Amino acid sequence: MIFKCRNCGGNTVYEPGRRKMYCPHCESLDSEDIVREGSVCVCGNCGAPLTLNQYTSASKCGHCGSYIVFQERVEGAYEPNLILPFKISKDVAVELLHKEFNKKTFLPSSFLSEKSLEGLEGIYVPFWLYDYQTEYDFVGEGTRVRSWRSGDTEYIETSYYEVIRKMEADFDKVPADASLAMNDGEMDLMEPYAYQELEGFDAKYMSGFFGEVYNQSAQELEERAKVKVKNASEALMQQSLNGYDSVKPRAKNINMNRKRAHYALMPVWMYLYQYRGKTWRFHVNGQTGKVVGATPVSKEKVFAYGFSVLACISVISSLAIAILEVL
Amino acid sequence: MREYIRYFRWLFLCIAVLALVLIGIEGGHASRAKARYYERTNEACRTDQRVFDYADVLSTEEEKELEELIAKRERQVQCDIVLVTLEESLKEYAREKEPSVSYDQFVRVYAEAFYEENGFGYNQPNGDGVLLVDNWYREDDGRIYTWLCTTGIVKDAYSDEDVDHILDRVYRDIEKDPYRAYQTYINDFYDDMLGSRMFHADVPRALPLIIGIIAAVIFIPLNWKSRSGSNTTTAKTYVSGGKEQFVNKQDLFIRKSVVKRHIETSSGNSSGGGSSSGGGGGGSHGGGGHSR
Repeated sequence: MIFKCRNCGGNTVYEPGRRKMYCPHCESLDSEDIVREGSVCVCGNCGAPLTLNQYTSASKCGHCGSYIVFQERVEGAYEPNLILPFKISKDVAVELLHKEFNKKTFLPSSFLSEKSLEGLEGIYVPFWLYDYQTEYDFVGEGTRVRSWRSGDTEYIETSYYEVIRKMEADFDKVPADASLAMNDGEMDLMEPYAYQELEGFDAKYMSGFFGEVYNQSAQELEERAKVKVKNASEALMQQSLNGYDSVKPRAKNINMNRKRAHYALMPVWMYLYQYRGKTWRFHVNGQTGKVVGATPVSKEKVFAYGFSVLACISVISSLAIAILEVL
Repeated sequence: MREYIRYFRWLFLCIAVLALVLIGIEGGHASRAKARYYERTNEACRTDQRVFDYADVLSTEEEKELEELIAKRERQVQCDIVLVTLEESLKEYAREKEPSVSYDQFVRVYAEAFYEENGFGYNQPNGDGVLLVDNWYREDDGRIYTWLCTTGIVKDAYSDEDVDHILDRVYRDIEKDPYRAYQTYINDFYDDMLGSRMFHADVPRALPLIIGIIAAVIFIPLNWKSRSGSNTTTAKTYVSGGKEQFVNKQDLFIRKSVVKRHIETSSGNSSGGGSSSGGGGGGSHGGGGHSR
């Protein structure tokens, strides 16, 4: 499907800054009409053939530049339960990248060039959001140690306790990305999203962006969510044991019952930077603006800047010593 | 290039300011020298020569250059500046003049006699001036001795510490490059006479480079970090209502144990050391010596 402006026939897109559908041709707002033409093989606007991978749910026609949402990939089994619309526009994402990386001394000069940043694209990444009910039973031996001195004798008193805990916690929407193309570690670092802005799925939010359907089922990815829930439960239990100098666990048991898995699309700006034959990936959370990625290091800059520091500090030291000597 | 200049602007500015300060101080010395200038009044001095390279450690060209430098500096500080290099035992000579004189004082005896016999002094014979005697001969005790003989206003201006400092600086290059060492003697004497001689640390020549290398070694790893984005979730991020519930929370006291430990007390001894310093020369001359 394509969203077209009823005033001028141009391709309308979702504009994060305005939080409305926007026609870049006639600047109309909320003037979209849905045109259900085309397929995953051809552009519904110009009829040009499209080359897509099996997971693409929204893309851009390389011929006419229209943003297309593929209906058969956003309905039925592929219809997301939830979508978090982009809140950060491309310009803001570029600004955030500048702010984050501008002060990195050894960054290649072309990294933040306008030309390189043109390739920044907004993508709706498929996620499974899991709800869990957990029960954590813990029994252990805790010790508290105190010491004092009397004359030339030091006393060390150790008190032993039986520590019993039963913790219950409901975890809501623990995320795990369902895109094989995205690095799991990078996607985990994108968290957290502000879930209060999640909305029921509406395909119009995808116009202007790329998108994917889930690449893996909720069943397949559950283990990742379980690890997160388990780690969080352990950390919460640990917090309840503060006050002991040491705790030796004797028995612990975590029960995790999955209540539900939501299929959701989350907004991510992706920047691919080519440097010396290697692709460097950077992600900006399309809602919170959090930036994730590791930058390449320019060896020329390391050498030039390192040598300059050496030279400048040596000259400054020489001058300072010379001044003190002639004073 | 613009990015590079912007990045290093504070360091460049610092270099520029320090260079200006140094130029300013040197300029101050030069104008002070100009203000106090008067024509040499010692007519009785037996020689115009200032560099006596008896040890032949300098080339003719180097001797000439040192003579020129001394002529310039003498006019600026209104003091005679003399350099003598020797390679002979001064034991007999010195003991003839002062029978009980020690090895380190042989050069002093020679320097004072040389100064007086030639009638050095900018204002009068045996007047304002300085003489460096560097005897390359290894005396019976296995050492080489150097003496800085100060006379007139130089004697008053130079403390033992000042003499030590200038000789330390001369000794820094003496073995590898005597010409450079004697240049240091002449130029440092100029700066000492016109400055306040506040700073006396004997700084190794390589120190600025070492500081620069340390700075670069710290700078590179400090700026190497390239990763952005850290984990900003907490254990409670996905907990419903942000709060877990403890339906059972018990801490039951079981037992207690007490361990006693005797603390050893110890008394310590302290010792201290002393230092001594010495200077040499009496009468109308001052100065001090070094050996290597």
